Parts: sequence; C-alpha cells; structure tokens
Amino acid sequence: MKQLEPVVHIVDDDPSFRTAVGRLLSASGFRVALYESGDQFLAQLPNGEPGCVLLDLGLPGLSGLELQERLAEKAPLVPIVFLTGQGDIKASVRAMKAGAEDFLEKPASREALLEAVERALRRGETQRLEQDRKHALRARLGNLTPREREVFGLIVRGKLNKQIAHALGTSERTVKAHRHNVMEKLGARSLAETVSIAERLGLVDPSADQLQR
Amino acid sequence: MGLVRNWTMRSCRLGWLAAFCCMFLGVVAAAPSMSMEIVGRVPRVLILYPYDERIAATTEAGEAVRTRLLDATKGKIDLFSEFLDLSRFPEAEHVGRMGRYLSAKYADRRPDVVLALGEESARFISANRKNLADGARIIVAGFSSSTAEEMDLPGDVIGAFSEFHILKTAEMARELQPEARHLFIIGGSSEFDRSWLATARADLAAFSKSYETTYLEDLTIDEFTRRAAELPRDSIVLALTIFKDRDGRNFIPREAVKQISETASAPIYGPYLTYIDYGVVGGSVVTFESLGKTVADLALDALAGKPTSNRESPQSYVADARELQRWGLSEKNLPPGAIQMFKEPTFWEQYWLATVAALAIITAQGTVIVGLLVERRRRRAAETESRHRLLEVVHLNQSATAGALSASIAHELNQPLGAIRSNAEAAAVILRSERPDLELIEQILVDIQNDDQRAHDVISRMRGLLKKRGEIDWQEFDLNDVTTSAIRILRGEAERRGVVLSANRAPRELPVRADRVHVQQVILNLATNAMDAMLDVVTTERRLTLETTLTKESKAELSISDTGRGIPDEQLASVFEPFYTTKPTGTGLGLSIARAIVETYGGKIWAANRPEGGAVFRVVLPLARNG
Repeated sequence: MKQLEPVVHIVDDDPSFRTAVGRLLSASGFRVALYESGDQFLAQLPNGEPGCVLLDLGLPGLSGLELQERLAEKAPLVPIVFLTGQGDIKASVRAMKAGAEDFLEKPASREALLEAVERALRRGETQRLEQDRKHALRARLGNLTPREREVFGLIVRGKLNKQIAHALGTSERTVKAHRHNVMEKLGARSLAETVSIAERLGLVDPSADQLQR
Repeated sequence: MGLVRNWTMRSCRLGWLAAFCCMFLGVVAAAPSMSMEIVGRVPRVLILYPYDERIAATTEAGEAVRTRLLDATKGKIDLFSEFLDLSRFPEAEHVGRMGRYLSAKYADRRPDVVLALGEESARFISANRKNLADGARIIVAGFSSSTAEEMDLPGDVIGAFSEFHILKTAEMARELQPEARHLFIIGGSSEFDRSWLATARADLAAFSKSYETTYLEDLTIDEFTRRAAELPRDSIVLALTIFKDRDGRNFIPREAVKQISETASAPIYGPYLTYIDYGVVGGSVVTFESLGKTVADLALDALAGKPTSNRESPQSYVADARELQRWGLSEKNLPPGAIQMFKEPTFWEQYWLATVAALAIITAQGTVIVGLLVERRRRRAAETESRHRLLEVVHLNQSATAGALSASIAHELNQPLGAIRSNAEAAAVILRSERPDLELIEQILVDIQNDDQRAHDVISRMRGLLKKRGEIDWQEFDLNDVTTSAIRILRGEAERRGVVLSANRAPRELPVRADRVHVQQVILNLATNAMDAMLDVVTTERRLTLETTLTKESKAELSISDTGRGIPDEQLASVFEPFYTTKPTGTGLGLSIARAIVETYGGKIWAANRPEGGAVFRVVLPLARNG
C-alpha cells in the first residue's frame, strides 16, 4: 500500500484552471494527473492506484454527474470531490446523494482544497484497507471444506454443538472437531471473533437471526 | 383709309363732312307722303355711297345700316348698294351718266327707300329722283342739319343728321386734364377750315375763358408741327380740320392731325371718329354704329308707313386707350359711358380665370406643403420620441438578459479567477521550497497575466452587453463578427444548460449598418429564447445553431435554430407580439423588442418550424454595401 503515492485526478475542461490547480497540488506534494473531459478520464482509469478525483460539476459532454455514476461502477474506491460554480444547488444535491465526498466552490482557497483532497484520500485509504481485509477473510473462507462452512454458518447463528450435530446428523464430537478447524482457518480465537468475521463478510444478518429466535 | 381728298375739298361747304373724313351724305327721300303699298314682295332699299368702296367711313356706316336692317326684318329685305365715286369723278357729265345708268338699271325694280350717305349722295338723289326712284322715300345721313338747309333739299326728304360739338370734346379734355392751363385750337386755311374755326370760336367762347387760349391758324404744316412740339405740358389741344395749309397744300385732315400729333408735347383731341388711331386722345363723335342705327330706324319706320321726321345721330365719347396711356391720363376721368378703343386687355382681364385658378392651386399647394411640413415635424418629433422609448426598452431588455446570463457569466469569471488564485498559491508554495523552480514560477506568472486578461474580457463583454444608448450609434460592421461575440457571451450559458452551441459562419463578409449593441441584443434574445424552448424537452441532444448567410436577394441573414418543441403553427405570427410568452417567468418582451430593433434597421424577422423539429428564427438585414 505504501509503495504507491496517491494520485489526484483533476478533470476540468478549462486548461488554465486545470493546470493551475495541478500546479498547486503538485507543489503541495501530491501526484496529479490532468484530464480535459470525463471521457478521457474514464479511458485512462487508474487501476487499483490510490487517489481521488477533482471533478468539475459543469463539464461539457459527459457531465460531472454522469461521470460520477460511471465511476461508482468502475472504480468505487476513488472518492470524488466536486468543484462547482456558484448557486448550482440542484446539481450539488444530486451529487451528494450519489455519494460525492465533498464540494468545493470555485475559486477555492489552498487550505480548503488541500483539506478536501486529504480528507478524500484518507477516506479512500480507509476504504481500501477495509477492502483488503475483506479480501483476506474471503481467501480464508475459501480454505474451509464444505462441511466446515456448514458448521461455520450454524456457529455464527449461535447454535450449540448439540443442535449442530443434530442438524447435520452427526456426532457432537465431530462437530467440535469441525468447529476447531473453522476457527483455526479463519484465525479467530473466540466465538465473538468468528461471528464478527461472518458479519464483515456479509454472511450473517443479525436482525434476521433475532427474528428467528 | 385713303380718303376722299378731292371730294372733301369740294364739299367744303360745311366741310365737316369731309372732316368726318368722308362720310356720308344725306340723301333725299323723295317719298311722297303716301305710305307705301308693297304687295307680294319684300321691300327694296337702295343705299347710295358717295365714293368708291374703299372709303371706310361711308362703307362702315353702310355696313352698320345693312346689318341693322337685316336684323330687324329677319332678312326679308332686298338691299342694293351703289358706289357713285363722286370724289374722283365730280364732273357733271359723270353725274348725268350715272343718273341715266342707274335709272335704266332700276327701271324694273324701283327701290321703296333710298338711303343717301353723305352730302354728294344727297345731291345726286335730289337731282335724279324722278327717273331713278319715283315714289320712294328718301333718307339722307352723315352731315349736319345746317348743311342740309344750305342744300335746299326737297321738303319730304328726311335726314339722320350728325352734329359736331367741339364744346363736348373740349369738356371731355377738361375732365381728363383738370390741371391744364393752356388751350390751343388748330384749324387749317381752307374755306371749310376757316368756317369751322369761326364756329369753334363761338362755341368755345365761355369755355376758353378758363384757359390761356391760342388759335393756331393760318400756318404751314411745318409751322403746325413745330408749334405743337413746343406746347407746354399742361395744354389741351383741339384739332378741327386742316384740308389746306397756309401754303395751299391739300391734306386729308386726319393725316395732317397725325403728322402734328407725332411731335406734339401735349394731348390732342378732335370731334371726328376718323381721327382715332391718328394720334388724338379722343372726343365726342358720332360712331358708325350710331349713325347706321339711326338711318336704319328711319328706313324701317318709312317702310312701315310710320310718320317720320329728322333725327340726330347720338354722339358718344370715344377715347384711344393708347393715347391715354401715352399722356398719363386716367381712364377714371373719362365721361360716363365713354368708349375706349385699342384697349389692350390687362393681364388680369385677359387671363383672370387662369390666374384665379393658378392662384387657387398655388394657395392650395402652399397649404398642403405647409401642412405636410408641420406633419413632418410632428412625425419627426414622434419618431425621435419613439426611438428614445425603444432605446430605453432595449436597455431594460439588455439588463434582463445580463441577469439571465449572470450564472454563466459568474462561472466564466470564476474560471480565470480560480486559476489565478491557484497559480498564485502554487507559486507561494514553490518559493518556500528549498530550491524553487524559477522557470515554473515564470510560467505561472505568464498564466496569471493571461487569466487576468480573460477575466477582463468577460467584464468587457458584460459591459458591452449593458451599454446604454442615448442615441443610435450607427456603424458599419460584419454581421459575422457580432454573431461571434454573441456566441462568446452565450457559450457559458449553453454549457451550463447542457446545450451544444454551434455556428456556421458565412464565408464572406456581411457588412450591415446598425447599432452593433442592438444587433447583438437581438441575437442574445433569440438565442436565450431558443435555449428556454429546449429546457424541458427530453431529446437526445439540445442543439443551438447560429448561422449567417448571404441570401439570394443579397441581404445578410442570421438564423437561429433549436431542437425544442417548435411553435404551434397558429402562433408563428403572434410570437413577436408584446407580452406573448409561454414561459412562466418570461416577460414576453424579448421577441417584440427584437422585432422593433430589426425593423429600425430596415430588416425583417420571422419564425418558422424546422421539418426536422424545433424552431428557426431568421433575421434579414440589408447589406450596407455590396462587396
């Protein structure tokens, strides 16, 4: 993760503005990439690199909001900071609802700009870590045998060994062995941790479980 | 009228005849008392002329008689004329021959009445009455009653006598020349002339007392002429007759009068009609008409068997208008009823109708012209007033447009301002670093300058957009250029609204004469109107196209087309009406102002729907020049 410096992608049709903002961020220690349109940015979409997008809300052609939609599919981990003109409230609200990270009103001061960019990058970083952890857990989950997965599913729903054995038509002892293997493979040291992992992977719906009870 | 010299001479008895220059003679009417019995035929009247047919005095008097007789009888009368030529053939043989000849000639057609004009004719018929006109009534005319007495005419002869009153002529002169102090009377040396002078002395005895009176007599023609040239201006000159001067030279009196009057230094008057046109101002005379009428009336009475008696031909005052003018005499001073001869009708008299008509037309025209001038001034004032109103409305419209475009204009300003700020902050950061990149700093400064210029341009455009006009600023410019600058203003707004703005520029210059700001305003109105029309329309593409072309009629055309919903056909004409609007926020003035502006510059504007959808507005302006 640390091996890659985050990149600030600046998408603005105004070359002068684009260049100036790029210079400021660059001088402030960021890597920047400049794009004159949404299409150009999509074509050169960074692959897994950390970063964020500074996006002009009033882009011609593919508009800022349309680009936002596309990015949500293709690069959900890249946070967007919108740059807006004055008084464009309607579009701003729509952008916010669609998950825009931040808004900056043109012309923005250096402080506001750096703060917004850093906040976006931090959030991106957080999302990226979370994503990575999920990936790791999923990999571990893949190591479980089908029987162990069944046992895992029942454990995180709070079933006792006896209940599990009955449900699976096996002995309580066998269930205990499976349970041990599951916790070991997933790296969980307690039942609570095991449930937490299941939750993070989206395998459990605690409310549904409560209803069952 | 060459006259009758010999004859006159002869007749000098009462020569006034001659004086008359020739005129008539009395004739005797033989007619025995009994009235005539004319059965089964029209009456016959024989007119005897004393001289030949060239002698005007008698001829004209005869014509007057004939005319009167023919009129009164409606043509039912036989008129015969005989010219006795007695002035050239005064001999007794001729007279006798003539008598025999005429007696034979009229043997079968005896006249009922004989009219003898002049003294000689009167003598002739007296002598030949028995053979020539037995039983006919004889009427003589053209001389005075005193002459008739001397002639001892038969008792039954009646006369239309002419009396010559020098006093009346003198009185006419006095009226015309009230300031005159001198009186001159001219007379010749013949027997007749002398007797005339004697008569005049008696007639003028009282009249001449008011003047310093001189009788010019017993002079040669040259002396007459010389004396006449030396007369004081305030003189009255009365010409009697000059048949002969002191040297014995014979004259036709009026010829002598003419010679004298040519050099005379005072007006000359005379009692004879024949003097008129021979240099006299006028006098109291017997006119031919007067004589003719008197004679004819006597003849008619005779034919009708009425009792007849001698009559006197009435006299008239006659004046020669040219002579009045020559001597500066006022026609107002003429006696009442005076006849003016040779009077040139005045311009007014001759052309009064045309003159009145012309004056009326000129007056009418003048009135119309004045009216039109007043009207034009009023119209000018009204036009000026209306133009000022239009300019004010246009300015309000400009402000409204600026308001509508404010968001995009703010955006346009924010871009360079934002860039400037970022550049400046970047420079500040770079300068704080250990090894500042000065080249980059330099580039940054250049960019800052450029962006500043950009911001300045936006503001200039904004100013141009809001420029207020007190008067139309006429200038010649390329319609393409104004379209381009309007597009610059519109671009931001189009972007903001997601409208694709495109332009097709005519390949050639389109010079027009108008106020640039106004034409730009028209484009802005039409373009914002078009963008509004596309606001709520769901289309694949919102496209606004501005196109300039040269029409076939060599006019500059600008068309603005959109991809909106178009205009309902029945409203195509009314979109330019004031307060027509389909937009909840519209004032309905934009298009009507556009039309007012376009028409001010002699152009036309209209709307249409495009077959592929959307509306197109076209503006046509005349070319300032063909080039």
